[in-house]
Amino acid sequence: MRKGKFQFAAVMLMAFMLLLAACSGGGTKEPASGGETKGQDTGSGDAESVNIGYTGPLSGPAAFYGERTLNGIKMAAEEVNEAGGFEIDGKKYKLNIVSLDDKYLPNEAGSNAKRLLQEHKTPIVFTPHSGGVFAMQVFNQQDNFLIGAYTSEPKITESGNELTVRIPPRYDGYLAPFTKYSMERFGKKIAFLPTASQYGKDWAEKLEPYWEEQGGEIVYNTSIDFTKDTDFFTIITNALKEKPDVLFIGGASEPTAKVAKQARELGFEGGFIIMDQAKLDEMKRVTGTYELLEGSIGVMPLVDSDEAAVPDFVKRYNEKYGEDPGSEAGLNYIGMHVFVEAMKAAKSVDDPHKIRDHMQDGLDNLADDKKIYDIPAIGDDGGFEAELVVGAVEEGKIVPIPAK
Amino acid sequence: MEILIQQLFNGLTIGSVYSLVALGLTLVYGILHIPNFAHGALYMMGGYVTLTMMTSQGMHYWLAIAVSAIVVGLLAVLMERLVFHPLRHAPPIHDKIAAIGILLFLEALAQFIWGAEYQTMASPYGQIINVAGVTLTMQRLLIIIAAVVVMIFLYVFLKKTYTGATIIAMSQNREGANLVGINTNRVAMLTFLISGALAAIACSIAAPINLVFPGMGHLVITKAFVIIILGGMGSIPGAIAGGYILGFTESLGATYISNDYKDLIAFVLLVLILTIRPKGLFARGGH
Repeated sequence: MRKGKFQFAAVMLMAFMLLLAACSGGGTKEPASGGETKGQDTGSGDAESVNIGYTGPLSGPAAFYGERTLNGIKMAAEEVNEAGGFEIDGKKYKLNIVSLDDKYLPNEAGSNAKRLLQEHKTPIVFTPHSGGVFAMQVFNQQDNFLIGAYTSEPKITESGNELTVRIPPRYDGYLAPFTKYSMERFGKKIAFLPTASQYGKDWAEKLEPYWEEQGGEIVYNTSIDFTKDTDFFTIITNALKEKPDVLFIGGASEPTAKVAKQARELGFEGGFIIMDQAKLDEMKRVTGTYELLEGSIGVMPLVDSDEAAVPDFVKRYNEKYGEDPGSEAGLNYIGMHVFVEAMKAAKSVDDPHKIRDHMQDGLDNLADDKKIYDIPAIGDDGGFEAELVVGAVEEGKIVPIPAK
Repeated sequence: MEILIQQLFNGLTIGSVYSLVALGLTLVYGILHIPNFAHGALYMMGGYVTLTMMTSQGMHYWLAIAVSAIVVGLLAVLMERLVFHPLRHAPPIHDKIAAIGILLFLEALAQFIWGAEYQTMASPYGQIINVAGVTLTMQRLLIIIAAVVVMIFLYVFLKKTYTGATIIAMSQNREGANLVGINTNRVAMLTFLISGALAAIACSIAAPINLVFPGMGHLVITKAFVIIILGGMGSIPGAIAGGYILGFTESLGATYISNDYKDLIAFVLLVLILTIRPKGLFARGGH
């Protein structure tokens, strides 16, 4: 009887585990919607599908971030497929996004990339975190695939990897405009309270010397671990004790917004420098109004961008996913489209070197309605050289700040 | 001086939340000797149920908390019936594995139902109160008061009612309780019910100062384990005292020693207390 009971429990546990695997969607294939049966491509026969790989956090604490990046890629792929695919030398191709969950872990990203290559022969693998990019860079040149890197970490393109394309702008470009604006408007004393992630530390290490070079003073320097702290009052009280004019905060948008809110509750009246990981519009959803974020400087939210293609993109994205797109979705969206244009220009869907060589053509050929960011060129290092757009909150509104 | 008072207040706030979580954990441990790793997941479910009641049913905050306490309490009972009860004769390691299984299951379930993104619980008590340079928000005061009220209720229930006495009897001696005619099954279910309800209340009062997301249980569960070890496994006063000790250590340690080492300070304290009192501050036995 005892044994029977135990077996029952074991079976239950197994069932839970299976259900868990099913729920978390780890490793599920995303079939290309649009499909091959829509019949828009009459005449040229059946379209062949090109598998595009994606590895990112689709479960765990960063899952929402992974989903947003994947949404951008998927939306671009669906648009290409709905338009009947694309044609190279008279042959029609459609996109099929294959997504795998790496739980935000570099090692998982590496093994996912191997799996994507072996099982799906993906010429391009997207990943939205620098750790995953580093892991893939170990073997991507030997195994011959392109990395669609969604990370603003400058190091990934400094290593001379020939098959890496960095989609967002490097974050060190933000140091000068952020520092200049905050010093002029508020003052020279800053307290550092970024997230305790590797990315937050890298950012802080870049900002520290720059801020001091400009004659500023760092009065308090620590980090907040969003995975461990329930309440930020303690840490903010200590930072504010030093009477800073500016707070440097950052991390995922929502907890960052809570930090800003609690700083205001504790009577802080200065400005915020917001690390590029957090987005002003997403922070506003938590604080309710921009008034609380008065004097913040950060990345310009996509919805407030003045590029002509943006309003229509926002509308389409909203219809599909029920929320406003941020740059996670937007940059991956434009990235996917540029890759397709580059494949067309390279006349190849499976030679990563050729595709990489034609990325500039891809950027040049991008249709106007896809241009939600102004990216005129790709550097020799593989980074998109986008125009930096910086936004600040002034009198409850986002205003663009010239980055130069 | 203002900083000291402010930090004492901050420590009291966070200590209240820790204590409530640790109480549920220690109750279950005291009676069934199960280290319920899934307690953090119950905490998280409590936050989501309250949030859902407030947003989709338009319920008042306090009413939503009551509903949440009942729902999560029943969920904990279900957990006991389906998983821990069938395992009662199994070696202790099976309970631990099962508890981790439930933790993973509930987290994935929450992500499946509510999505992975951070959500905000808007409490009706956003007012800021400034007293002599110390900033209190209404919500934080509520956390402190609610925690004390819940603790008093729990104390009265355990000490002054017959049902409460059966719980204490069982934690003192399971066989003995059985011999004098206490229905141990019922007591086990009741304990899980209270433990789940405590987790739900703790999360619902703490969520407005942070966010609601599937991984939020991890913020408190490791600390709750530290607390019950510090206070004495299974001891109720130990859980309360331990919660406040940890809360104050974190806030004062971060202020006067170093913020980067505040977790280290808490663990050094744990080592010190265990060196002097190896069974924790309030070793069990006799209550």
